[in-house]
Amino acid sequence: MQEIKDMICPFCGCLCDDITLEIEAGKIVSTDNCCTIGNAKFLGKNRLKNPIKKIDGTWTDITYEEAVDTAVEMLLDADRPLLFGWSGTHGEAQCVGVHMNEILGGVIDNTTSVCHGPSILAIQEVGHPGCTLGQVKNRADLIIYWGCNPIEAHPRHMSRYTTYADGYFLDNAFRNRKVIVVDVRETETAKVADEFIRIKPGGDYAVLSSLRAILRGKSDMIPDSVAGVSKTQLMQVADMCKTCSFGALFFGVGLTMAKGKYKNVRNAIEFVDDLNRHTKFTLTPMRGHWNVYGANEVMAWMTGYPYAVDFCRGVAFYNPGETTAIDILARKECDACMIVASDPAAHFPRACVEQLRDIPLVVIDPFETMTTTIADLQIPVAVTGIDAEGTAYRMDGIPIKVKKAMDSDYPSDTEILTRIYNKMLEVKGL
Amino acid sequence: MMKVILEVKERHKPNLPIEAECITPKNFLDPEREFHVWKGNKELDITDIFHVRKDGTAKSAEQVEITIRGDSSHIKRVGEYMDGGKILIEGDIGMHCGNFMSAGLIEINGNADSWLGREMHGGKILCHGDAMDYAGSGYRGEKQGMRGGLIEIMGDAGDFAGETMAGGEIIIHGNAGDMPGVDIKDGRLTIMGDCSRPCGNMSGGECRIFGTAYDMLPTFRNEGLTAIDSVQITRFSGDYMSRGLGTIYVANCKYMD
Ligand code: SF4
Repeated sequence: MQEIKDMICPFCGCLCDDITLEIEAGKIVSTDNCCTIGNAKFLGKNRLKNPIKKIDGTWTDITYEEAVDTAVEMLLDADRPLLFGWSGTHGEAQCVGVHMNEILGGVIDNTTSVCHGPSILAIQEVGHPGCTLGQVKNRADLIIYWGCNPIEAHPRHMSRYTTYADGYFLDNAFRNRKVIVVDVRETETAKVADEFIRIKPGGDYAVLSSLRAILRGKSDMIPDSVAGVSKTQLMQVADMCKTCSFGALFFGVGLTMAKGKYKNVRNAIEFVDDLNRHTKFTLTPMRGHWNVYGANEVMAWMTGYPYAVDFCRGVAFYNPGETTAIDILARKECDACMIVASDPAAHFPRACVEQLRDIPLVVIDPFETMTTTIADLQIPVAVTGIDAEGTAYRMDGIPIKVKKAMDSDYPSDTEILTRIYNKMLEVKGL
Repeated sequence: MMKVILEVKERHKPNLPIEAECITPKNFLDPEREFHVWKGNKELDITDIFHVRKDGTAKSAEQVEITIRGDSSHIKRVGEYMDGGKILIEGDIGMHCGNFMSAGLIEINGNADSWLGREMHGGKILCHGDAMDYAGSGYRGEKQGMRGGLIEIMGDAGDFAGETMAGGEIIIHGNAGDMPGVDIKDGRLTIMGDCSRPCGNMSGGECRIFGTAYDMLPTFRNEGLTAIDSVQITRFSGDYMSRGLGTIYVANCKYMD
């Protein structure tokens, strides 16, 4: 039995870096410090043994070489290929993906477009008053969780950075750090909050606007109830925010995917801006996938845009709503697709899944997933954090090197994508 | 007068978008000009996608009239930077029709896809059907949307009509979707039917809603009754979450309380 310490959990945007793994006979047998969802990822089964290709409707085992050739053929044949996923792999592989997209003249998009895409659109409008999670842990005496439920989606967020964490500059952090939860239902997180604001679905924008008007001394015009929230509570919350010494607002898809989407987030950012006239306040999106922030970083530094980048005409064009995977698929605007480290068949609307089923589909993923069932080719790879390594970005934008625990015969995402990319160059004579 | 008829050919993959920003009246003045359109990553000659017929001659863009016939619902960017003349679209038109246009007329007999007249400066767009999201809006992250000209939509508009609008006029004869005129700075937005949550973060300009505004935002101040064209209507000032320099006239409104 071998024990490895300080490993990184490749599951959620918290990227916990204190995981201990027990390894026996080339397999991870147990984990320590990990939450249950992270643990399940480390102990994951269902790994595909070798590349498979659908020939006349039945899966056939093929070699990696054949798989690379098939993928190249399928993608080069297309007029508008879509390369989607990316948030479940390391930055080095994402880099190869962007290069490949440029050669192909396709559209590259990451899962941001179905979670925090609206946050980025809002940030592009009014900026991002953010900070690292370390700052929050050590200084924040007021935490707001808006439209997110960390107890279930980011299980160690509260123990590592907020409610249950010690703070270097805080006395008795557990007692003195206040937590406000804003949600449409009473979640597990709401149950442990000091203040729970239950909002009617679609009421986020109106509530944020009201809070901002109160901060501006315009409370006289606010009616007794706004989207299910009493004026008394709004006044109290505005006061809590104004009088704290360091506030941190975290928000999730409950805000970004509610009616109004990015305008909700913009309103939240401007609320935080307004609060900064009274105290110190910051805002951080609760990023879901462990390296979705990295996908934004890589695409932004290579193309200028963080997701939904259309290279069809050789230059980068970005317009979420038009160049985002969901929209392209729903409108049947692509004619081949490669999915890397993502499972859209499990999450996308039906029309999108049908389009994926109807066009040539290459999947690069270690596991058999729902998307496997509609694919034409799947190439298994090593799992970053287990048998592959690379760079990932935590939800607060901190790059972290994800180490591997063991070697295996699987190629990493970077290796297989580089082989596909090189073959494309060769075929195109570049 | 020059009449240009562009008839969309049958296509093997009819849903793949075609980008055809070369279709503006001015471009047809030059008889030597080559017209290229893009189908995904393939640059094609215009004749690969359209049957092209050109009759007559013209000296200025104003004397050119283009008619687009057939299934043009996936043809994007028609009339981009148009500065005179006329484009008549007999059916539906794809996204970004009339982007940045400064003069002339675009008439659409069918429906228009999203971003109709994005950041337009002048001229007129008349859409007889519905327009999807972001009619007369700005580009992503852009501070200003439409700055001048007129967009008239006889049917309904989608969400975010006139987003970041900074001048000109939009008239929607049917209903508008969610958040029309959000972040509006200047100009006039008229909605004959219903809408929801109009003009969040309004910092100037005027919006008139002759139907019902659902989920009206609480940060607009009721300034009392007035009349427009003998219709009784309530005037609101706002948005007071910022400086509150805009005006909304609403016939009926409902709050989410
Ligand atoms: S909180 Fe997230 S990163 Fe941390 S162990 Fe759980 S799943 Fe992994």
